[in-house]
Amino acid sequence: MQPAAVAGTDALDESLTEAVVDLVLRGMWRGRPESEHRPLVEAGLAMVKGPMVLPTERARTAAAQILRIAPGSAEEQRITAVYEAFLPVNRRIREVCTAWQCRPDGTANDHSDSVYDAEVRESLEDVHEAIQPVLRRLERELAGSGRYMTALEEALDRFDEGAVEWLASPLCDSYHTVWMRLHQELLLVLGVSRAEDEALEEELVRRSRG
Amino acid sequence: MSVTDRRADALDAQEALPVADVLPRADMLPEDVLSESEARPEADVLPEAELQPEAGMLSKAGMLPEADVRPEADTLPRAQGPGRALVPYGQGRIRGLEAADLGTHGVAMDRLVALGLPVVPGLSVPVGSAAALCEPENARAALELVEQLSGRRIGDGGRPLLLRLSASAPADVAGLPPDLACLGVTPAGAAGLCAVIGGEEALYEVWAATIRMIAEYALDVPGPDLDDVLLDAPDHRARVDALLSAVARHTARPYPEDPAEQLALAARAMLGRWASPRARRARKAQRLPADLGIALHVQALRIGPADRSGYGTAVSRDPESGRFSPQGSFFRGVRRSSPPPLTGEPLDRLGGGTALLEHAMLTLERHLHSPVSVDFEVRDGEIALLAAAAQSRPPLRASVCLAADLAGDGTLSPQEAVRRIGPDQVQELLHARLRLTGAEDLLVRGLPASPGAAAGSVVLSAERALELAADGTPVVLVAQETTPADVPGMLAAAAVLTGSGGIASHAAVVARGAGIPAVCGAESLRVLPAEGTVRIGDRVLREGDPVSLDGRTGTVYAGTLPVTVAGPPPELSTVLGWADDLRRLGVRVNADTAAEVNTAVALGAEGVGLCRTEHQFLGERLPLIRRVILAADPDARTEALLALERAQHEDFRDLLTAVGDRPVTVRLLDAPLHEFLPAPGEAEDAAAEQRAAALREANPMLGLRGVRLALLHERLYPAQAEALFAAWVEVAATGVRPELEVMIPLVSLPEELAVAAAHVRGAAEAVAARTGVEVPYRLGTMIETPRAALLAAELAEHAEFFSFGTNDLTQLTYGFSRDDVERQVLAVYRDRGLLAASPFARLDPHGVGALVALAAERARSVRPDIKLGVCGEHGGDPESIAFCDGLGLDYVSCSAHRVPVARMAAAHSALGAGRDDSGRNGSGSNGSSGSGSAR
Repeated sequence: MQPAAVAGTDALDESLTEAVVDLVLRGMWRGRPESEHRPLVEAGLAMVKGPMVLPTERARTAAAQILRIAPGSAEEQRITAVYEAFLPVNRRIREVCTAWQCRPDGTANDHSDSVYDAEVRESLEDVHEAIQPVLRRLERELAGSGRYMTALEEALDRFDEGAVEWLASPLCDSYHTVWMRLHQELLLVLGVSRAEDEALEEELVRRSRG
Repeated sequence: MSVTDRRADALDAQEALPVADVLPRADMLPEDVLSESEARPEADVLPEAELQPEAGMLSKAGMLPEADVRPEADTLPRAQGPGRALVPYGQGRIRGLEAADLGTHGVAMDRLVALGLPVVPGLSVPVGSAAALCEPENARAALELVEQLSGRRIGDGGRPLLLRLSASAPADVAGLPPDLACLGVTPAGAAGLCAVIGGEEALYEVWAATIRMIAEYALDVPGPDLDDVLLDAPDHRARVDALLSAVARHTARPYPEDPAEQLALAARAMLGRWASPRARRARKAQRLPADLGIALHVQALRIGPADRSGYGTAVSRDPESGRFSPQGSFFRGVRRSSPPPLTGEPLDRLGGGTALLEHAMLTLERHLHSPVSVDFEVRDGEIALLAAAAQSRPPLRASVCLAADLAGDGTLSPQEAVRRIGPDQVQELLHARLRLTGAEDLLVRGLPASPGAAAGSVVLSAERALELAADGTPVVLVAQETTPADVPGMLAAAAVLTGSGGIASHAAVVARGAGIPAVCGAESLRVLPAEGTVRIGDRVLREGDPVSLDGRTGTVYAGTLPVTVAGPPPELSTVLGWADDLRRLGVRVNADTAAEVNTAVALGAEGVGLCRTEHQFLGERLPLIRRVILAADPDARTEALLALERAQHEDFRDLLTAVGDRPVTVRLLDAPLHEFLPAPGEAEDAAAEQRAAALREANPMLGLRGVRLALLHERLYPAQAEALFAAWVEVAATGVRPELEVMIPLVSLPEELAVAAAHVRGAAEAVAARTGVEVPYRLGTMIETPRAALLAAELAEHAEFFSFGTNDLTQLTYGFSRDDVERQVLAVYRDRGLLAASPFARLDPHGVGALVALAAERARSVRPDIKLGVCGEHGGDPESIAFCDGLGLDYVSCSAHRVPVARMAAAHSALGAGRDDSGRNGSGSNGSSGSGSAR
């Protein structure tokens, strides 16, 4: 590892580790900066923009270093297998969210067709069934990843209670929001770039639907 | 994906047609296909014993109790034989079975057979008997029947047969168990099947999915174990092996090779899955009975070579053009559940051609009176239907085209065709919209101010808009709010976006009038002209950045999104022509220029109901009117008026030429004075500055405007009227004779109207003296103030027509300032249920409508033949139009792009009144819509 990077990580106060990772995985915190965010701002790891707290470039670098597991390790291989099982399902959750928002002909879904909406809900259930074994495996390899299943089920419950924003709204810990966080963590853990990620997803989807 | 692949076996929703009416046209139907045994299973294949039309008792008896997931007992009394609960496709009706028994799929297949269309061989196990299929003995009977129906045998290496099990409920529901195909495959036989197909991926994939579900729901293998098996296996073939091992491990006996036993397990899995918590939740979410039963269907899955066999889906009409032109894709190999594979091929690659598919769709369209969708199977180049239904939400153009086609060939009456196309759908067809994929970057949401969609570069000034537009660059004019000075820029723009202002703001009104999409009141938007940027929340856009917006939804996106241009298709014109024959109410246009008139006439306007002369005073004419208003002395004023008259003469000549022999209502100047005053400090000299300052008003909209201008500037209306009449003389010389109607605005005293009428008469006499031509014209007034409505009888003494200006009449009746309340008050009122709709969008029948009704009645008492029209924006709103029709008004007038909507709305109103005379013909206070306000 390069000395500079080591220095960067070492310079990071232990107490800030969790908060930095959380901020980077979320991408932002909405609402007024609270006391827990201030140390990050003071450490140059977060910046306040209007009603939002955003991670700085330094925070991203730090989070990537904290999360990255040893390249070439057996652990990395096992998580990569999980990640490859995740990607085709990742495509499907996007399709489900799109179907919820737009009908197949491109018009906005006005939710007047209850059977259509129920079909979308069924596809969401398919996705939810498909992600569970993936997350069960991940939990064995990656400490703390069990929280994603809890958060996804929480979002699904809220959605089923009629708060439909819990499917795809970026303003709450919706199914989609939690999912994006999970995806981001996988990328940082494995050191995969977004471009590599997209290419691999495309390939895996093509293979599974060929 | 799966939701687009929705099985819609909804034929049962339609009344059965006499079969004779819908028999296939012989010329369309290859005989060899119909003569195939599977096309007419009832005719010659069925064993006698199983044809007795009887099974009603069985199907209605023991409905499977929800809790009975693993039925242990044979619910079929042995004495009656297992075959009685097996209903071959096409046999249900004879046995008196309906959707409640057969499920939507069984009924749909029945109808397809009745229509003489080729279907995949198969049978239904009715709702009440479904559990019986879990018994191997009954499954064997079903299997043998399908073998007979298809003329193939399971295990036959040359013409292989497998089974597919599917489920359907008595109505369209979501959450049915997925199909279980590949029943009857064995590890030993798989290689032979793959050899016939010419590939193995598809077979193993579907087979694995089937084993997976049977293992979990019929054999109680824990789901997580199965998940692990699937995650660990590298490919479909390995998954099948691993799943079979897992089953053997957990159940202590191997997965059965006997096809009947496989079918019985599949039925058990289907019912188990239907009873699972997941399916219960789905039923609950759809408010379906918890114990809703399902019918099971056993279909022949005939295996053929992949180059000539597969399956597909198709819809009957091209979504863009709406024309009959089957669209879809087909897939080689064994049919899978969703999501569809990515290897779809267009229909024209179908080995056996599409003639039979086209025939089936034509037949179904005429039967269902709707665009249709079908699922089909191709085997050795031959097509058989797996499902067919009316398309659940056909593209609008497809519906309109179909209505025109069906009425064109006599299947529907023109009246019925008109009834099928709602006014809102007409509107939908006349405006473009963005094509969304879900991946768009939404910038902001504002009020949907003017329908239509466009993409273009951001410009922050009218000047820049004109410059770029002149180069052919589409631009989106972004402004905090617009002023009349921005109008030329707006007209040059592809779309308009504003940060403040309501649905009735200047920008919105102008944009709607011009048919330009607009989003207004996007609240987080801040235009910073000095920096040449727009801030939207945290985003910063610069001039030149691409944006796309949809004025129907109020959404604004970053980037250039594709716009689907939906011009009025010829079929819509045809249907609108029929609508014209049905309606009583006239439809005119609010148009100010010759270009607008031409557009509107092309869209079916019968004349101009409101020509606003304001625009004749803007732009380069502004200094002229300014000189009239701020003239230092009478000579200067006269000189300015003459210049103005010349300029207007040209405008009127062009307008009247475009109008032709149609009626045209020209409103003399109405605009508030302040629109013509120079900004403080910009008058030409200090004296003019002083005069301008003296003319500024606290509340211009209620100040010096309308007829009041005429009383204070006595040469104004005569000058306008003379320009108009002289133009008419010139146009009449070319052989065109527009029916001229001269209208005085904002009258509240009959005496005002008398003075203004004298001005107009004087102008007519002056033109007659000058040209020798007596110009025929009617003189009338706008009814815009409550007082004018109340004094309608007195006004009718002077007026030959009234035009209700319902925008102002609504403002003044409620005491609402439109721009203010649209943004602040109405949203809250609507949220709290005080108002169902904005009274500016929908004519308030109880208050404003009552005034209109009262004025109409009083005016007719004085002048029974008085012509009555409405020229507010309500003239384009279907419910308001129905209200006006009910009052017996002569016409409505609306902006050009609403004209087809108004034509259709007027026809629907006439059709509605024909059906129910009691509702519409009452007075305004108990008018038809009743939704303008809540109590």
